[in-house]
Amino acid sequence: MSSDQQPLLRVRDLVVEFNTEAGVARAIDGVSFDIYPNETVGLVGESGCGKTVTGLSILGLIPSPPGKIVQGSIEFMGRDLVSLPEEELRNIRGSEISMIFQEPMTALNPVFTIENQMTDVLTRHQGLTRRQAGKAAIEMLDKVGIPIPEQRIKEYPHQLSGGMRQRVMIAMALSCGPKLLVADEPTTALDVTTQAQVLEQISLLQDEFHMAVILVTHDLGVVAETCDRGIVMYCGNIIESADINSLFNHPRHPYTEGLLNSIPRLREKKVDQLPIIPGRVPDLFHLPEGCRYGDRCNRVTDQCRQTAPLLQSVTEHTAVSCFHPVTQTSG
Amino acid sequence: METLQYIIRKLITGIPLLLGVTFISFMLMVYFGPDKTYELLGKNATQEQIDEIRHQLGYDQPFFIRYADYLKELVTLDFGHSDSTGEPVSGLLGRTMPISLALIIPGFVLGNLIAIILALTAAYHRGSWVDRLIMGFSVVGMSISFLIVIIAFQILLSSSYGLNLFPVRGWNMSTFGNYLSYVTVPTLATVFVSLGYNTRFYRAVIVEEMTRDHVRTARAFGVPPARLFYKNILKNCMIPIITRVIFSIPLVVISGSLLIESYFGIPGVGKVTFDAITTGDQPVLKAVVGMTAVLFVMAQLVTDILYRAVDPRVTLK
Ligand SMILES: Nc1ncnc2c1ncn2[C@@H]1O[C@H](COP(=O)(O)OP(=O)(O)OP(=O)(O)O)[C@@H](O)[C@H]1O
Ligand SMILES: [Mg+2]
Repeated sequence: MSSDQQPLLRVRDLVVEFNTEAGVARAIDGVSFDIYPNETVGLVGESGCGKTVTGLSILGLIPSPPGKIVQGSIEFMGRDLVSLPEEELRNIRGSEISMIFQEPMTALNPVFTIENQMTDVLTRHQGLTRRQAGKAAIEMLDKVGIPIPEQRIKEYPHQLSGGMRQRVMIAMALSCGPKLLVADEPTTALDVTTQAQVLEQISLLQDEFHMAVILVTHDLGVVAETCDRGIVMYCGNIIESADINSLFNHPRHPYTEGLLNSIPRLREKKVDQLPIIPGRVPDLFHLPEGCRYGDRCNRVTDQCRQTAPLLQSVTEHTAVSCFHPVTQTSG
Repeated sequence: METLQYIIRKLITGIPLLLGVTFISFMLMVYFGPDKTYELLGKNATQEQIDEIRHQLGYDQPFFIRYADYLKELVTLDFGHSDSTGEPVSGLLGRTMPISLALIIPGFVLGNLIAIILALTAAYHRGSWVDRLIMGFSVVGMSISFLIVIIAFQILLSSSYGLNLFPVRGWNMSTFGNYLSYVTVPTLATVFVSLGYNTRFYRAVIVEEMTRDHVRTARAFGVPPARLFYKNILKNCMIPIITRVIFSIPLVVISGSLLIESYFGIPGVGKVTFDAITTGDQPVLKAVVGMTAVLFVMAQLVTDILYRAVDPRVTLK
């Protein structure tokens, strides 16, 4: 990441709403961020804050109905994905931008072989014949560290372990050489060792393929270890975005600080959930007028309760939305 | 090889089931079925005459001997002669079975195929007017009784009040043209009646499958919507579809062929069974009941094998 580079992905003012029985839920409310080529950006935040929806929006996969991108732009290599026709978007999905999902157990189709599913992607996007695609798929499986790939490829998903399936997903996602990989909690369902291996595999391949990665995770340790930058989301907003050093050493938003303080020691054990901060996330139908974190914040003032702070740049690559950011070097 | 072994194993395990089903049906026939004695002798028979007849009918034998005889009849397919016509039962069934099959199969197959296509279309356009139109018709189809449908089709298509294109009653398979003219109206009625239920069921199955994670994955890899349906979703829906198709066979065979054959005057198994019930023709009833039990067990076997064919997670054990 450097300032002279053009961002690969430029999300501006994204608003996503869901029509539910209880009313319109604004799951993403004015999110803006950039992703530069080759970098890894961690996207963290409590459950329900909109990480998955953000990822799905990039690929135009918001389930509709009930969901809809009501505002904003997602510019990817010069094209606005929000206004792009569906057919063109399909050509981008799985080839220029790939997404892998949390649940390796269910993300693959149980009634088709790995080969069938992988060659399907390759023949569609790369124009390969079935045969060539089969060979390319085996090579890809080898790259993600699957032993005896020419045998494994004939198997069905249920014959593979969770870690293996996630590797298959990665192989499939990278098979067309995407520029951007959205990895939505790719390791949450895996055990610690497998998790580490899978993440390592992603980093290795990232260098080989020169792609950017958006890594959605609950695990701040993973962010610290693998990401160049971190974006912290809260309740449909980005509340802080910074390079990994600033984020971990000098968190500016009280929420980020709270998250960091409540982790006993990074990487000590696998974390399935973000550390607990007292209080509750407001639900999308009863948002406070001011700062959404206000009720849980120890620095809250009247100003916070009346107006919502906007995300403001602090330095070139750090931004925070807080009227009273944590000032530097407290520890 | 694996499949063959499985079939053999399944056939063997089917034997107790077959014994159970035939035993129960035989018991019901013995205790609740018609007693021919008085029918044959009239009111004022002497005890000797009664004993004589009961001996001839085998009624004096112990229950298990009679059941064993019945099993022997089933295995050899020799059920004796019909009480009412004197025709050998096996010949009677051999003659009427093809008629019933030729009558039922087109409606059954079309009723399911069209339903699957409509269900896919509705699910594909779910929420839109296409979906609402299809589902609206399904509800209408479901709420009209079979009898009314039969009569309405007969009036519309086969009477001088309507188009008068087809014969109202009877059956003739001597040429394909004849077959078509006799099978069309019953087929239309069957399709009309089954379509609503089938479409609703299949649409629900498909829509449910559409919410699965693997469908989202497929979309994330750029699978076009039409392909998504006929490749990624349809195969996953096959287990509930197969289950429904196979389990609706008994219903179709019994209610379908009974009703249709009697309303269209078609001499099929349904008609034979109906007559046998009303006249208490035991040899025919025993044959029909036994064959139905065999059919059930075979259907189960076929279902299991088909499951395996569409879903690799199902193991043949
Ligand atoms: N299909 C949907 N219908 C209605 N609301 C939805 C739908 N999908 C997401 N939402 C809402 O959008 C908000 C954000 O959800 P999202 O899945 O992005 O959260 P997340 O940050 O990924 O959480 P998690 O860490 O649990 O995966 C939630 O409040 C959720 O209720
Ligand atoms: Mg999520």
